[in-house]
Amino acid sequence: MDPTTAMYVSQGIHGLAYGMILFLVASGVSLIIGMMHIFNLAHAGFFMLSAYFTYQFVAWTGNFWLALLLAPIATGFCGMLMERFLLRPLRGSGVIGDLILTVGVALCIDALVKVIWGTANKPLSKPPLLQGMVHFAGLDYPYYRLFVIGLAVVVLLIMALLLYKTRIGKIVRAAVSDNDMVNALGINIPLLFTFVFGVGIWLAGVAGAAIAPILSVFPGLALQMGMDAFIVVAVAGFGSLRGAFMVSILFGLMNSYGVQFISQLAPLSMFIFMAIVMIFFPHGFFGESEEE
Amino acid sequence: MKTGKGILMFFYVFSFFFLLTAMSPIQATAAVKAKFDVNKMADMSGFDPNNFPNPTGDTIKIAIVATFSGPAAAVGEGFWLYATWAAYDINKRGGLMVDGKKKLIQLFKADTMSRPDQAKKICEQMVLQEGVKFLWGADGSHIVKIMNQTANKYKVIAVNMISLSEDLQDAKNFSPYAFMSWWQTSQVGRSFAYYFGQRKKEKKFYIMCQDYVFGHEMAENFKKGLKEYYPEAQIVGEDFHKLFATDYAPYITKIKASGAEVIYTGDWDPDATNLLKQSRAMGLKLPFAHIYMGNPATLASLGVEATTGLLIGSPYSNGNPAFKTPEQIKYHKTMMDAYKRFKPPYNKMDYMLGWDPLAMEFSWLLSVIERAGSVDAEKIIKTWEGDTYEYVNGHVKTMRACDHNTIQETYILEYVPPDQQRQSFNIPPYHWSDKSALYGPAFRVPAEKVLPWMDPNLERCKGKKPSDIN
Repeated sequence: MDPTTAMYVSQGIHGLAYGMILFLVASGVSLIIGMMHIFNLAHAGFFMLSAYFTYQFVAWTGNFWLALLLAPIATGFCGMLMERFLLRPLRGSGVIGDLILTVGVALCIDALVKVIWGTANKPLSKPPLLQGMVHFAGLDYPYYRLFVIGLAVVVLLIMALLLYKTRIGKIVRAAVSDNDMVNALGINIPLLFTFVFGVGIWLAGVAGAAIAPILSVFPGLALQMGMDAFIVVAVAGFGSLRGAFMVSILFGLMNSYGVQFISQLAPLSMFIFMAIVMIFFPHGFFGESEEE
Repeated sequence: MKTGKGILMFFYVFSFFFLLTAMSPIQATAAVKAKFDVNKMADMSGFDPNNFPNPTGDTIKIAIVATFSGPAAAVGEGFWLYATWAAYDINKRGGLMVDGKKKLIQLFKADTMSRPDQAKKICEQMVLQEGVKFLWGADGSHIVKIMNQTANKYKVIAVNMISLSEDLQDAKNFSPYAFMSWWQTSQVGRSFAYYFGQRKKEKKFYIMCQDYVFGHEMAENFKKGLKEYYPEAQIVGEDFHKLFATDYAPYITKIKASGAEVIYTGDWDPDATNLLKQSRAMGLKLPFAHIYMGNPATLASLGVEATTGLLIGSPYSNGNPAFKTPEQIKYHKTMMDAYKRFKPPYNKMDYMLGWDPLAMEFSWLLSVIERAGSVDAEKIIKTWEGDTYEYVNGHVKTMRACDHNTIQETYILEYVPPDQQRQSFNIPPYHWSDKSALYGPAFRVPAEKVLPWMDPNLERCKGKKPSDIN
């Protein structure tokens, strides 16, 4: 592979890697909005919290792999607690109540991480197994980024299996379409909501844990990823995992090739794209059709 | 700079500046009028930034204008540490003789929350309600602009001790009540350009900065500097990324393909750290010419090999070896002893490394007050214009009278492995860090090569040369 081709291929893989991370965060947002109609503004806060948990677990155990497993679970558990004890009592109070509450939770998470871990950057190294670069056909690429892509694919497959091949998945999908009907069938909707909320937060947790060795873990981390994830959901359509996946990958590729060819406009490309989509598809690419 | 100027932009700044203590007097553009005298320092064994004994009543009131809440709250923590350190020393000595009587220093936290509207509100509150006579800050040129405007309106003194944008002192924004005691983007860019022009080791440069006014100013001034000092140099690429970007991989791939030999960046944290970290992870080994890639924890996590060869610009260093006098060593030991007693949030290496340069900035202000013998703004202005002050490490700063910019020599320092840091850190343990590369060879850029920019449209400066002190 000649250097120019290798550069373009590299940009493609970068786009894929970033798109996968975006998807992990956005899919949780999408799932929660789609099923519970809660616009969870604390979602990116949980993403950040998981990165801190990862840092802490690594500090305690020295084992990144264990941290990668435990941090998202701990984050998902926090999400379930939030749903059970904060969001559930507000059910029926309308969107404004949810928004105010989730903003409050986001601020609390922000304050909490500063109290516990301070305000300085917390660097986290990649596990030794994933340090270094793979050399293939003239292309050099970091192992860790390939691992992130692989991890996201695995999570995507698990989510697909869960949603489309299990009974609980059928219930969740049914609840996304009509939760009153599901409730009428005797399904414990509050419990289901708690579970789905926890899974959505767990997805953000996986992203936070995976990205921690790439980025600095610091109190502004939520801001870095939160906006991009919400743009993905808006463009994809609320509640559409398939849409979230496709749009995440699209945005990842737009970002990397944008930097390559129209560098000055690359940071704006997602916003411009969202604005255009909103004009022609107010419910996002996939939102309306799935509602139907 | 912009809202949220992030995180800790300064301690990393200083993280390194501090350590570069050194001694030989610099540019000698003017005779030193005052200096920091270590032998006059009070007993600092009781110093605790968490419990600063803040006096009340008839005091010298100074507001620390900074971000004390939100994601960038660490900025305020740092400023508070640096100011309280210097104020504690003076207060323990009995205060400063002002308007015929000794007065203690009283400090106020003026939390801007990184927002201009809040900055305006809090600065006015400080002046009108608390009776503050000095505003000292702030993290972000947009905030400094507000601070300076407030000072101009109420005729109190504002000191910009960290923001680098040169338009703060231009014809449009200049206020006789506002002083800039750090350095400017033009001094940064031209310092590096002069260094590379003399070194002639690298010829191809890639500019990578944040996409807002500060980043663009940094880039432009580097390019101007290259034209002036290294015309054979080539800019092989130039990119501006969004603030708080997450993924630098696409930029890094472009840089690798560009054939660049050095990357010049004005990024501050977290962008600086993420850019460096991701570059090294992607096999980009090039040196970064920077001013903010000094986060000790990040450098340590990257290790010696990945950090060797980085180049940092400093408006505080004074060459090698860093410790030239027993007084300076005594000062360093006093700081280290205090640091060992610190409790959260101040027990961080970042703060320990960072507080020397900014404490000196604050000491310069206190020295001016002492010599003016008053907190009256007009007397302060008269004293500070054309003043020359020597820091504890021998670094000399001169306040240019016509536009209140600081004339000083600068240094470019190369990061080297621990066993080579002895040339700089010449006292035990003979290295700045045993976990990463850090300051080694120091290249002096004479003050006359990096005179701060002077706006030709500023009426007060007409007919003057940039080298004119008075």
